[in-house]
Order: sequence, then structure tokens, then C-alpha cells
Amino acid sequence: MEQFIYYLKVSFVSIKRAPLPYALTIFILSVGLGIFFANATFYYQLNSDPLPHKSSKLFFPMMLLAPYECTDCKPPAVLSYSNIEKLSQSDIPSAKTAMYSADGYLRKNAEQTPMPVNIRITQRDFFSMFDVPLLHGSVWPDNSARLEIILSKATAEKLFGRTDAVGEKLLLDDRHLTVTAVLDDWQMLPRLYDANNRNHLSPADDIYLPLETGYDMNYLSNTQSQTFDDTDYRKLSTQGRTGALNQLQYWVQLDTPTAQQAYKQFMANLAQDEKVAGRHPSEPNNQLVAMRNIVNYFGGESSDIKAFALVTLLFLLVCLFNASHLSLNRYLGNQYEFSLRRALGASRGQLQLQMLADVLLMAVFTIAGALLTGYAGIKLMNHLLPRNSLFSSWDLPLLLSLLAVAFICSYLVTLYPSLRASFGTLNQQLKE
Amino acid sequence: MSLYLLCKVLFSRKVVTALLLLQLAMTLALLLNSLLLAQQTQQQLNQPTGLDLDNTLLVQLKPTTAALRVYPALEELLNRQLDAVQAVPGVIAAAYSNQSVLLHGGNNGNIYVLEQQERTNVSTVPMYFVSKGFFNVLDSKVIQGELPQHSVSLDAPGSPDVVLTSSLADKLFAGTPAVGQQINRGRVAAVINDFYGQRSGDHIMYNSVQVAPPYGVDWGYSILLRTDPAQTESVRRQLASVLRNVESNIEIYHIRSLAEQHQHLYRNEYGLAMLLGVLSALMLLVTMVSSYSSTHFHALKRQQEIGIKRALGASKSLILLELLSENWLCTALGSMLGVALALWLNQALAQVISIPALNWYLPVITIAVLLLCVTVATWYPAATATRVSPATATKAL
Repeated sequence: MEQFIYYLKVSFVSIKRAPLPYALTIFILSVGLGIFFANATFYYQLNSDPLPHKSSKLFFPMMLLAPYECTDCKPPAVLSYSNIEKLSQSDIPSAKTAMYSADGYLRKNAEQTPMPVNIRITQRDFFSMFDVPLLHGSVWPDNSARLEIILSKATAEKLFGRTDAVGEKLLLDDRHLTVTAVLDDWQMLPRLYDANNRNHLSPADDIYLPLETGYDMNYLSNTQSQTFDDTDYRKLSTQGRTGALNQLQYWVQLDTPTAQQAYKQFMANLAQDEKVAGRHPSEPNNQLVAMRNIVNYFGGESSDIKAFALVTLLFLLVCLFNASHLSLNRYLGNQYEFSLRRALGASRGQLQLQMLADVLLMAVFTIAGALLTGYAGIKLMNHLLPRNSLFSSWDLPLLLSLLAVAFICSYLVTLYPSLRASFGTLNQQLKE
Repeated sequence: MSLYLLCKVLFSRKVVTALLLLQLAMTLALLLNSLLLAQQTQQQLNQPTGLDLDNTLLVQLKPTTAALRVYPALEELLNRQLDAVQAVPGVIAAAYSNQSVLLHGGNNGNIYVLEQQERTNVSTVPMYFVSKGFFNVLDSKVIQGELPQHSVSLDAPGSPDVVLTSSLADKLFAGTPAVGQQINRGRVAAVINDFYGQRSGDHIMYNSVQVAPPYGVDWGYSILLRTDPAQTESVRRQLASVLRNVESNIEIYHIRSLAEQHQHLYRNEYGLAMLLGVLSALMLLVTMVSSYSSTHFHALKRQQEIGIKRALGASKSLILLELLSENWLCTALGSMLGVALALWLNQALAQVISIPALNWYLPVITIAVLLLCVTVATWYPAATATRVSPATATKAL
């Protein structure tokens, strides 16, 4: 320990002797790493798997079940109510849920100012499939229409000032509903269950309403609805259930490869039956898209973050080269001191230990600078690319990886210069 | 001063020179691509929209009670709101519309000439359902036909007449008169000049407009106003309270000028261009630090050499020129490498974002900027090195 403190003291003395080159090296490394940290944060969060233990079992079945003829067409990104009815006939999935989102206004009574809310209109399996935690109450017992809603914790607190709001009555767009459950804090990031139109970047919804009730109340999707026939979208509760008005997303849980294969076969049979019945003239085009690939399937990857990732990586390389260059100059400037120590009997190993103390000191300064620069970089990116702002938090694994990268960079920057200073002809070095 | 000797000096410190060259090359590559992206964003923001961006205001809103979102209450609300905003001093024209102009996507669908769907089908054409003042707000020029003068319900037998923008009319009818022709949305009544509709559409200038109350307002609706240029700000300040006085049960999402709406539409591109701009500035700073430090260190190491040269008659300016030339040569070599790297980076970026290909003049400008930065950074240490006295420098000989 004593020896280590001595090495640190020597490092400090060396810094004091030429503080400007050292400060410039730290500055350049901090800037490079900070910018890299900022972008790496978004990249890591956007590409993280929110349900690592079951994402490989969750699938979005896409089928070209539409009343028009089309060659080489992709299936529509959203399905109709009747499509869902047909897809739900199979018992192969261990869980299945249809859903969409809509806008509404919620209040406790007619005297209160309505509060705008985002509604997830879905079925009961949604909560078990996506591991949604309940704080109070219970989920609907089945998928039938019922005037019952589930609130997010934040919505319950906003409306009632407390979380236990089960049994309370609310007005949703002038219709009376009862609260049956309140969720615990929950935010799936990225929100892969709704990846169409880059909605995986959005925050979790405020309230949850049964699908059948949503249709009865004529809620239209606030993200994408398409009609492929003369269905009047104002008559969602009647025509919307039978016509080609597509606005639903559908997820199934298929626990084993056998179940996945069986469900693919079920989709193929369904497409064939529909074609034979003359309801869907196009050639079948079925896709069973895994949850992990859904953003890519919908083309919703954040190209700006990807492009910036490439650029920040290059910037980090430039900063590393630059810092190595500065560091090399600094070590060559201290060559005489190194040579003198070697002449007095210090081994190359001992010089390398001294170098490690230098690295440690440099890593500490660099990490502090990089975290500051990274924080400022994240703020700037949130300001300039606000859609990604939910993905700007640091968690422990990310932070530890970033610290490791900073240490490795500090080591790399110091490695070559210190080796160069420790080797070479002692005689000549002492003469210079 | 010989080029050979300059090269010899540079390559006598191989590692340092290699690091410097790589760094200069990467800086140039990043600078070039950042400039390309910034240039592209600027072009997108400057492209013609056919709209008076500064003097047209947009209010996006929605009734908060279900009763106000159905007819006839909705139509009555729309008319009351229009009357109220039209009475605001400075408002030249006002209209409601199911959606705004200058959007990414929205209410749109296929459009085709009846009986010729195969040949004429155009997908994702925005559908505007508006009050008759809409054309006045946009200051539209009628190219063919006459604008509809009355609002017709979309539920009435027969569809309301359709007004097309000129590029859509050209696409559908290929130069033949469009007025009176039947398309799947109704009879064409008029053709007006182009305006920017939806970015994700088949073409940003393809639009169809019908004078009719919207089907519904589940996604909200827009009120558009053309204002007297001198009173735009004053109108803007009053709008929220005027609309809330008419009906308090509304949510106003935003009040923007069309210029702000246009910027909002391209904010991702703008954001990325700004980020790359900041990064480019940092890279230039890093390069300047590197050039400064390199010149400073090597000038110190070469004090004796400089002193001898001075003793043998070399002037201060010659020494300065020599030191600067070393950096210029290094920058030139790094730039050559940088152009190749920029081409590679341009292709790599084109895989993930839309970016134009590299042109010939941008590298020239960028190299000039890089040379200027390097010269500024190396001037001070080079000038200091020339002050070495021949006597001091040769004392140890």
C-alpha cells in the first residue's frame, strides 16, 4: 500500500511538472468518452429486451387478410376485429391479446375539468403476457364488455391523491365506469407491444379498457386505422366489428417450438380457407414476427441514433489517437526521469507499476469528466431529438460497462507511451 | 525548403505522424458528412411549400366532451369558433379543416379516375374536409374551374365536389382538363396551385380538398387563420382565450405558425444535423489541440537544430514557414486519406439515414477550413520556437 501511495505521489509530481499537456489529454479523453457515453446510453436502452425471460415466446401474427388483390404485398400492420376473431379461434397459444390505443378524457364527476388520457383498449391476457404488475384490485375475469377500467398508478394518484382507487366511479368521455384495479409503477421500455409507427418510443398508457367496451364506445385508434371497404368508422360498434376496418394489434404467447410450428400451420390453414371462401383474393402471406424483431419488422429503428452511434465511435477513436499522441509527447518529455530510474536499478516491471498508478489517476479524472460531458450530451440529445427522451437513463450495468470502457481507454492511451519510455538505449537517453 | 526534407522530418517520428494523420483524416470525414447533412436539412427547410408560412396560424384542438364531438353539436361548435376567430382584429381569413397542412401523415387514401383505377391509382393522397374559407386562408390561386361555394355533408347523397392541387391533377389527367371529371372521391370542381400536404404521402404536393364538415373529430381538428403580417403575434396571443370563451370544453394541443409547423416536421433531421455540427466543432477543437501540442513539443525538442539554423543565417520567418509547412504537409496528407474515409462513411451513413452523395466542392471547402484551423493552432508554438537565440541553442554543442 505504501508503495502504491508512493507511485501515486510520483504521478502527481509528474502532473505538476507539466500540467497543460496532462489537462489536455484528460480533456480530450473526457470529451470523446462523454459523447460516446451519451449516445451509447440511447443505443443500449433502445435495443434492450424489456422481457428477456419470455420475449422469445411472444409473437405478432401478421396475415394478408384484406379484401383486395395484391401481389408481393406485406400484410397490413393492423388487423380488423373479424381477423382477430378468426385468429383467436386457436387454442395453441397459452395467452393471446388484441389491443389498440385511443385518446379520451377522464374526470371524477361532471363538474371537474376533463383530463386527457391515453387509453390502452385490450384484453385480459395483456397483463399476464407483458408482466404488468398490479398494486390493487384484479384484472377483468374474461374478455367480455364491461364498464370497468384499470388505472395506472400515476393516474390514480392524479385523480384521487392515493393509489387505492378500486371501486371508485369515473367518467370517461361522459360514460360512467368503475375502477377494478390500479397498476404498480410500470413502464416497458422499449414498448414493444405497440411498435407500429414508432410507438415503442412512447410512455405507458394512463388507463386500460376492455376491447369490447372500447368498440361499444366507438373509440378509434389514435395511431393507425385503415379501411379497405365501405365501413363507416363512426359505426365501430356495429360495422367496425364486421367490416375491413383495421386498427388492432394482436399478440400470442407460444411457449415451445412445437407450438410455434403448430400456430404457423394454423395460420396457413386459415389463409387458405379464407381464400377458398373468396373473402381474401391475394396470395397468402403469413408472418409470425417475434417480439424481439418487431421494431425492425415495422421499420421503426432509430436511424438517427444509429447514424450518430457510428459517428461517435469514430469521434472516440479520434480522441483516443489524439490522447495517445499527447500522452506520448508527455512520456517522451519525461524520458530522462524514466531512464534515470532505470539507471538507479528500477526494473521495467516497476516502471510499469508506476504506469498503472498513472492510468488509475487518469481514469479517475477521465471518468469524472466523461460523466459530466455525457450528462450534458444526453441533455442536448433530449433537446434535439425529443422522441427518444425516455431512453436517456443510466442503470447499473450500463454505468459499470461505461466505467470499464473509460478505464480501458485510459490504459490504452498510456500503454504505448510508457512502453516506449521504458525501453530504448539507456546511455543515449541519459545523454539527451 | 525542400519537400523531401519536410517528409523526412515528418516520418522521422512515425508513430506520432501516423496518429496525427489518422486523426486529421477522421476529422475531415466527419466534417464533410456533417456538412452534407446540414446542407440537406437546409434544403428541405427551404423547399417551396406553396404556403405563407409566417402569416398563417394553426390551432390544433379537440372538444373534451363526447356530446360536442357528434353532429349537429359539432357543426354548431365549429361555426361558433370560426365566427369568433374571424372577429379578432388582424384576421384576414379563417377556416376549419379535419387536419392541418405540413404533416408527416394523417387522413389520406387512394385516389383514381373512375373506371381507370389500374392506370391512374395514386396512393396516400391527403383528404381535407374543410370550410369554404380554406382556400382564402391558403391564398390559393385557381388554375381551372370554380371553387365550391357551399358546404355539403359527406353523408348526403352524392359526394361533395373535389378540388385538386395542380400536380395531382397533372398526375391523374396528364395535361387534359380535370374539371368535370369523375374521380373516386367525387366530381373535380377546380384545380388550385400546389401546397405542402403530408410528408409521408406519395408526393408532398398531392392534395384533395372537399368543402364539407369532417366525418368526425376523434383525432382533433385544425383551425387555420391568415393574418395581417403586422398583427400575427397579437392574433396569436388572443386565440386561446377567444376559443375558450366560445366553448370551455376544449383541449388546445398547440397554436403554431406554419413556419413553426414546418420546422417541427423536420425536427429530427434538424436535431441530427445540429448534433453532427456540435461534434464537428469539437473535432476541430481536438485537432487544433493536437496540432498545437505536437508543434509545441517538437519545437522544444528541436531547439538545438533551430538554433544552428538561425546561426547559419536562417531568418525567423523562414523557421516559422518551415514549422508551418510541416503541419500543412501533414494536413494535406491527412486530408487525402480523409476524402477516402469520407466516401466510406457517406456510404455507411446512407445505409441508415438519407444523406446525399459527396460532391466535389465540399471537400475543397472543408480542407481549407481544416488548414486554417491547423495554421491558427500551430502559429503560436511555431512563432515561439523562432525566438530561440542561436547562442543559447548551441551552448551545449
